[in-house]
Amino acid sequence: MASMSKLLNKPLRSFVLYAMLILAISIPVYFYVVDSIWTSELDEHNALVKEQMVEQLEKYQGDSAQLNDFLRFSNSFTSGTRVQKTEGLIIPFDTTYEITRKRYSLKETEENRFRGLVSRVEIQGLAYTIQVETNFEEADETFLAISLVTAFFFITLVLGFIWLNRRISWKLWKSFYQTLEAIRQFDLSKDKAMRLEPSDIQEFQELNKTLNQLIERSIAAYQQQKAFTENASHELQTPIALLKSRLDLLMQHKEINPELASLIESVERPLARLTHINKSLLLLAKVENKQFAEIEEMDIQHRLKENLELFEDLAADKGMGFQADFDATKTIRANAYLFDTLLQNLLSNAIRHGNKSGIVRVSYEAGHLQIANEGANPLKEENLFERFATASNDRVGTGLGLAIAKEIAFRYGWTLSYKFQGSWHEFSLKF
Amino acid sequence: MKILIVEDELELANDMEAYLETESYHCERAATYQEALDKISHHEYDCILLDLMLPGGSGLKILQELKAQGKQEGTIIISAKNAIEDKVEGLQLGADDYLAKPFHLAELSARIHSLIRRKNFQSTDLISQNELKIDLPSKVVRVHGNPLNLTKKEYELLLFFIGNKNRVISKGALAEHLSGDFAEMFDSHDFVYAHVKNLKRKLKEFDYGDYLKSVYGLGYKWQA
Repeated sequence: MASMSKLLNKPLRSFVLYAMLILAISIPVYFYVVDSIWTSELDEHNALVKEQMVEQLEKYQGDSAQLNDFLRFSNSFTSGTRVQKTEGLIIPFDTTYEITRKRYSLKETEENRFRGLVSRVEIQGLAYTIQVETNFEEADETFLAISLVTAFFFITLVLGFIWLNRRISWKLWKSFYQTLEAIRQFDLSKDKAMRLEPSDIQEFQELNKTLNQLIERSIAAYQQQKAFTENASHELQTPIALLKSRLDLLMQHKEINPELASLIESVERPLARLTHINKSLLLLAKVENKQFAEIEEMDIQHRLKENLELFEDLAADKGMGFQADFDATKTIRANAYLFDTLLQNLLSNAIRHGNKSGIVRVSYEAGHLQIANEGANPLKEENLFERFATASNDRVGTGLGLAIAKEIAFRYGWTLSYKFQGSWHEFSLKF
Repeated sequence: MKILIVEDELELANDMEAYLETESYHCERAATYQEALDKISHHEYDCILLDLMLPGGSGLKILQELKAQGKQEGTIIISAKNAIEDKVEGLQLGADDYLAKPFHLAELSARIHSLIRRKNFQSTDLISQNELKIDLPSKVVRVHGNPLNLTKKEYELLLFFIGNKNRVISKGALAEHLSGDFAEMFDSHDFVYAHVKNLKRKLKEFDYGDYLKSVYGLGYKWQA
């Protein structure tokens, strides 16, 4: 994971290296080919010149004055040809060779490369040696030229690769990035199916198809889970109601005594807790299932006051008080029951977790509601709003209060957040 | 006083009947939609306790039927659904109150008591018990003609006790009545004791009999 690179950059690197290798190999090959062509062309040329000279020699044979003129002319004017009468045995031959030397009769210090032909011919019983030399490009110059051209093409190729890579990357992977973005945006709890754009690339089309199936299955499983929660807590309502009414009847028994009374009370407590947990589960499922559709306009200040009144006794039992600061009047549109539930969960949370004889701070200002209680250590934020998450060691709650609060806030597009600031646990609701 | 309990859960209906019968109430029962329909068509009741999910039809339809027949019975919806939609619709169809299951029988009894007062004593709106008189619309409580200065919660407690005469009411039920559902989540219900103590003190000031008894720390009982 140290160095991440995009998928298409990987082949690009290989392509560039491969192109470099091939072009590097091509330089000596080109050189060899070009040089061979040069050589064979020059050999042909030299042979042609020799043929012409032989023709001339044959023509001037028997006319020694003209022959001498020709020989003199050939050996002086033409820089690359020499014709000489040769004594001795006449064994005709043709030899090609290469030589690097200075040019004749020129004030040049530079060495040049020449292709030469030495030929011995017999013309009417006389032997002549004909030498033809033609200047051609030096090997190192040819090599340099080829290298430069190759380097130019290599650079052109690499630039082309980069440009093509970008273009392909953008075009080819467009649907991939669209899919990626769609997955990123997808939220199971939003109850909205993910729509993946069709792609004209088979692999991506298959990926999208598979993802769609996966998402559909997840949504179905999620719906099932939600329905299960609602049904299960629904089914529990009746037995709980029975337990509660039986206990109420038991209390009326004539022969009740202190021992029985304390037993009944010890059953009533956990039953009350069970009742509340079950109600909370049912409520959570209903909020998730988008029930509670009626919306009305409420005055935040008014709702806060009423709910604080509801909790004042519970707070007083812990010796706690409220420090309320919400003068600004503001109306809000939401379901009244849900808004009250949200406030009640936050208040209940603050009172239960607040210090004994401490203060619960409730403030509202400019679309920002804050309920805070004192505490020593910050809570673990990552799963604070999860169901049955235990951010602190105490287990008095249902473990659902903050999850419900978060869900209701989410429903109306409000943000509920937690912050620990100066020994205060602050829960903020932004409308 | 005649009460009709429309509830398909037999045992729960039994419990409600057992709790209410000791009061001056006479209970009849209907376990299905059809049964309920027959009873309301042929009899008069002071109060109808109506479950919404019934075999054979919805309790909401019974409300519509009551309205269509021009009946004046007070109705309290008792539902396990606790769906706010049902509550709103039920109240729009003429139900007087809504109580979500599970509930304390004491809460039910207090609601019935208050509903019957509202329905039957519209001209007087007065609860009187021995030397105690409560004027419901003005919320004024008098003992021997002297007005008591009760807080809102003390007043609510007093009505709750009177709606549950001679019954033991647990502190939990009282806490829930005063502070709502969330009271269930708090271990301490000492505030109930504080309110009851104040109420007793104020009643005694004007020489009202000691009718409010504590029952072994479990709860309270209004003896009359």
